Amino acid sequence: MSVSAIAPRRKRLADGLSVTQKVFVRSRNGGATKIVREHYLRSDIPCLSRSCTKCPQIVVPDAQNELPKFILSDSPLELSAPIGKHYVVLDTNVVLQAIDLLENPNCFFDVIVPQIVLDEVRNKSYPVYTRLRTLCRDSDDHKRFIVFHNEFSEHTFVERLPNETINDRNDRAIRKTCQWYSEHLKPYDINVVLVTNDRLNREAATKEVESNIITKSLVQYIELLPNADDIRDSIPQMDSFDKDLERDTFSDFTFPEYYSTARVMGGLKNGVLYQGNIQISEYNFLEGSVSLPRFSKPVLIVGQKNLNRAFNGDQVIVELLPQSEWKAPSSIVLDSEHFDVNDNPDIEAGDDDDNNESSSNTTVISDKQRRLLAKDAMIAQRSKKIQPTAKVVYIQRRSWRQYVGQLAPSSVDPQSSSTQNVFVILMDKCLPKVRIRTRRAAELLDKRIVISIDSWPTTHKYPLGHFVRDLGTIESAQAETEALLLEHDVEYRPFSKKVLECLPAEGHDWKAPTKLDDPEAVSKDPLLTKRKDLRDKLICSIDPPGCVDIDDALHAKKLPNGNWEVGVHIADVTHFVKPGTALDAEGAARGTSVYLVDKRIDMLPMLLGTDLCSLKPYVDRFAFSVIWELDDSANIVNVNFMKSVIRSREAFSYEQAQLRIDDKTQNDELTMGMRALLKLSVKLKQKRLEAGALNLASPEVKVHMDSETSDPNEVEIKKLLATNSLVEEFMLLANISVARKIYDAFPQTAMLRRHAAPPSTNFEILNEMLNTRKNMSISLESSKALADSLDRCVDPEDPYFNTLVRIMSTRCMMAAQYFYSGAYSYPDFRHYGLAVDIYTHFTSPIRRYCDVVAHRQLAGAIGYEPLSLTHRDKNKMDMICRNINRKHRNAQFAGRASIEYYVGQVMRNNESTETGYVIKVFNNGIVVLVPKFGVEGLIRLDNLTEDPNSAAFDEVEYKLTFVPTNSDKARDVYVFDKVEVQVRSVMDPITSKRKAELLLK
Amino acid sequence: MSRLEIYSPEGLRLDGRRWNELRRFESSINTHPHAADGSSYMEQGNNKIITLVKGPKEPRLKSQMDTSKALLNVSVNITKFSKFERSKSSHKNERRVLEIQTSLVRMFEKNVMLNIYPRTVIDIEIHVLEQDGGIMGSLINGITLALIDAGISMFDYISGISVGLYDTTPLLDTNSLEENAMSTVTLGVVGKSEKLSLLLVEDKIPLDRLENVLAIGIAGAHRVRDLMDEELRKHAQKRVSNASVR
Repeated sequence: MSVSAIAPRRKRLADGLSVTQKVFVRSRNGGATKIVREHYLRSDIPCLSRSCTKCPQIVVPDAQNELPKFILSDSPLELSAPIGKHYVVLDTNVVLQAIDLLENPNCFFDVIVPQIVLDEVRNKSYPVYTRLRTLCRDSDDHKRFIVFHNEFSEHTFVERLPNETINDRNDRAIRKTCQWYSEHLKPYDINVVLVTNDRLNREAATKEVESNIITKSLVQYIELLPNADDIRDSIPQMDSFDKDLERDTFSDFTFPEYYSTARVMGGLKNGVLYQGNIQISEYNFLEGSVSLPRFSKPVLIVGQKNLNRAFNGDQVIVELLPQSEWKAPSSIVLDSEHFDVNDNPDIEAGDDDDNNESSSNTTVISDKQRRLLAKDAMIAQRSKKIQPTAKVVYIQRRSWRQYVGQLAPSSVDPQSSSTQNVFVILMDKCLPKVRIRTRRAAELLDKRIVISIDSWPTTHKYPLGHFVRDLGTIESAQAETEALLLEHDVEYRPFSKKVLECLPAEGHDWKAPTKLDDPEAVSKDPLLTKRKDLRDKLICSIDPPGCVDIDDALHAKKLPNGNWEVGVHIADVTHFVKPGTALDAEGAARGTSVYLVDKRIDMLPMLLGTDLCSLKPYVDRFAFSVIWELDDSANIVNVNFMKSVIRSREAFSYEQAQLRIDDKTQNDELTMGMRALLKLSVKLKQKRLEAGALNLASPEVKVHMDSETSDPNEVEIKKLLATNSLVEEFMLLANISVARKIYDAFPQTAMLRRHAAPPSTNFEILNEMLNTRKNMSISLESSKALADSLDRCVDPEDPYFNTLVRIMSTRCMMAAQYFYSGAYSYPDFRHYGLAVDIYTHFTSPIRRYCDVVAHRQLAGAIGYEPLSLTHRDKNKMDMICRNINRKHRNAQFAGRASIEYYVGQVMRNNESTETGYVIKVFNNGIVVLVPKFGVEGLIRLDNLTEDPNSAAFDEVEYKLTFVPTNSDKARDVYVFDKVEVQVRSVMDPITSKRKAELLLK
Repeated sequence: MSRLEIYSPEGLRLDGRRWNELRRFESSINTHPHAADGSSYMEQGNNKIITLVKGPKEPRLKSQMDTSKALLNVSVNITKFSKFERSKSSHKNERRVLEIQTSLVRMFEKNVMLNIYPRTVIDIEIHVLEQDGGIMGSLINGITLALIDAGISMFDYISGISVGLYDTTPLLDTNSLEENAMSTVTLGVVGKSEKLSLLLVEDKIPLDRLENVLAIGIAGAHRVRDLMDEELRKHAQKRVSNASVR
């Protein structure tokens, strides 16, 4: 967008306003478009300094009738002269490069963010903008960040001069702001320091005649601080920082430059370039794949040069490589930590052993040829093993975030206490090493650390980053837990004050009113009269033992006409979590509770989750009830939804409930009700399975903790009781009924959940393996066919084989996802796994945000209270869905990672020999799953045999032939083979990650 | 998704106004004394509108005549250059424009004393030179001024204003950027009363917020009425002094 300034006229209006016009000229397709916007300048923008005596008189209240808070301290940090007591003004480049540093609680206090900086940051990077905004919002007492609207203040607005670029104008605006502040605060003896990494801006500040602004670069400023030593390591490395240094260490290793934006746009339009998200292979960090809409299978990207600095998850633009370079996906395993271990972080190594295939390929291919190439590629995908490959030519959006890792010991010189370049190996093995500069290398050697990535210039083999903070010693439970939470982007900090303020003031003493028509209670909550009193129903809850956040409770009663009245009562979370509050925003951001082995990260504050909302026994609680009339064969005759007050009679664990039901001597009404529920649930399940619901399996295990030392000491495979499925069936029924109701009421924005049918390509490899090895196959025509064919996959000699196939086919399935009903057409709402046409999540609002939305929509649908606009707006629903999908996935990964860690700890204490199954065969190793621990591990060829060269890999038969150590007879290992493995937990010397190591017996 | 900060946490809008502030409002009447019986030119922010009132006059076709009251016609001409991108079509027979005309006619029929001008027709012609959100409100203000200039009897001033609702904050007098980002309501308020002559809601707005929105809208409309009144009195004074000098 080109912008030209047309000399604006300024006009004075009444009440301290003056107006000027902002004129942009934007050219599109050669034509010019004039955009005129009004811009009001005002004299009532306060400086927000507590020491200021003038500004409190000019402030005006906002729409909520609140006055702005004066935040900047009257006795800010004092540095040596000439700075003295000072506030900091930030420049855009500092915010963009060093947002981590700004969030650091030990530096940067009393910071002024000019509005123009905020705007520039927002245009450059929205995530950084959100973080900066959060910082300004939540930093009241400690960090004290404020936004100063310099563009709207009469005193600091600057007009663009003729021939001045927009950047120069903005820099001038920042300087003007500094100048105004320093004059404004002169009587109070407070200085203003402009921190900017833009040399020209600094020079201009000293040059300007009337100005007396103190400017510092980020490094200079940090050096001035009393605690500079602790912070220095966190300064981001930008290549512009130490340009000179780079020139010294010039190397011949360079990545290809990215294409220009114009070329990328053109290429996308012409259909010679493609855009997609890159996924780096779990087993080989030098191989990635990109799913492109035009190709039936992902396109491969092989080799460092072709990956061209792409990170796992980046949005990239790719170009197909010529046919001569197409290849099959590699059957080699490669970890970044074991690759080029000896690279020296100080020198940019040029000993690249990866063949320079693409760079040597300088032949020019025309667009037309490229399109033909694409056609060939599609054909190749369908027929042969050879896959088309591509190279990354541009990165549309980086997925960079903060990463957890540890220093590579080989790169550290423990003697040196000066700043040195070291490598950090990241926990995520799909990512390359990162080079950071730190002075504390020796100290950090055995710590888990958080780093942030700054840049990846073409001349560097590894990306550059900086240290953010350390989490603690490797292997300590606390550091590992925090590391995996960070790694999975789980928000685990305690709830902020603003969020806690939204909770009921009564705290734990909150009580449901005894009478629903009590005038005093009604005056507080006028909706109370719409609630139904269900305290006379015999309701109980059934949950896992030790459960404190009880979401759901049930009851059943025989009706006079012989049918059953069955009620599902769900905690009424939305009574406490109103839309638009800070509490709601926090819940929406967290999306879900995260369950780790030793810890639970709540979505909502404890007070709600485990007390006020939790449907605890013997107390009155608010609930959202779904009440059906079911006939004897569990068909729905009638369904009703209502907000209610209930009193749970008992909270059972699954075992207790089972015992009570089985106990013939108990014949009270509650037990009878439970028996009826069980009987109906069996019928419901039967119907569901007949419709084609899948019964899949996962190798999930449970870790038992020693009650005294809280050390993990035992691993158990999860068991299922009949009562588990009792609760599950009714929850499914409630979810389906609610889904229908809210879709009926809000056809465009209902919050639903779908599960797409898996594409047949996902099952190709599994089916081929089953076919060659066991002469079985999985049918994919429908979920019913799939369920039946899974039932047929039975090996009479091995009862576990069926479970194994189920585990493997679960991995071929699509992930279920949340969506709003306007996003898909009705036939696509289908939930494949459950075999229902429409589904949502309604039954666990304490731990899932989707359920909260569903509750609000249901409340709107039954006319209890009007639905908030945020849940009636497609865009906003889209944002919610995307976020909760991501959070849900992350929570699952985090949970699994936690189990993995603890299983490792258990195995550390007891080494054993277990039965395992081969689930993958590679050229240089096999992957074995051990059901007892739910772990799978790679056994490298080096560990299988002394003579790796004699090993043979048969791709068609899925067979690896080798001569085992201590033996002279060749051994064949096929996929699905049952093998005895020795399981123990070892610490990887390079990454210091604990892994299950398996050794074939 | 719009990534503009429509209403900043510090309480400022995109163009630097606060939630309850009107845009620049400037008006003048009797701008085209030779072309029409009554005329006005007004600028509300970047809305620039010329209004001409012709009549009461004898209708061109006898068949259009009503023996009991005057006939009111409104024609709105939204110029091709009024938006930032030049539009290809003239907006003459667009559905939206026809709708605007109809609602304006219905509204002013109730507020102009048509019964004292039987057998006549009053033509109102509006030219929108530039538009920047809240156009309906500006049209109402322009017509009110031009009708007064033409000396046609009305019960009171009608002032128009649009109010948007951003999350829970009502924003007075929305410009086009704001209008695109949220749902807005247009009000036509009769004089200094709380009577609404027009309530135009084209997007969804939660019912429980509407009261709030109306309150700020009515207050804004009263401000507009005062600004128009001031301008009128200034104009009248000038005329009186001119007359006495002569």
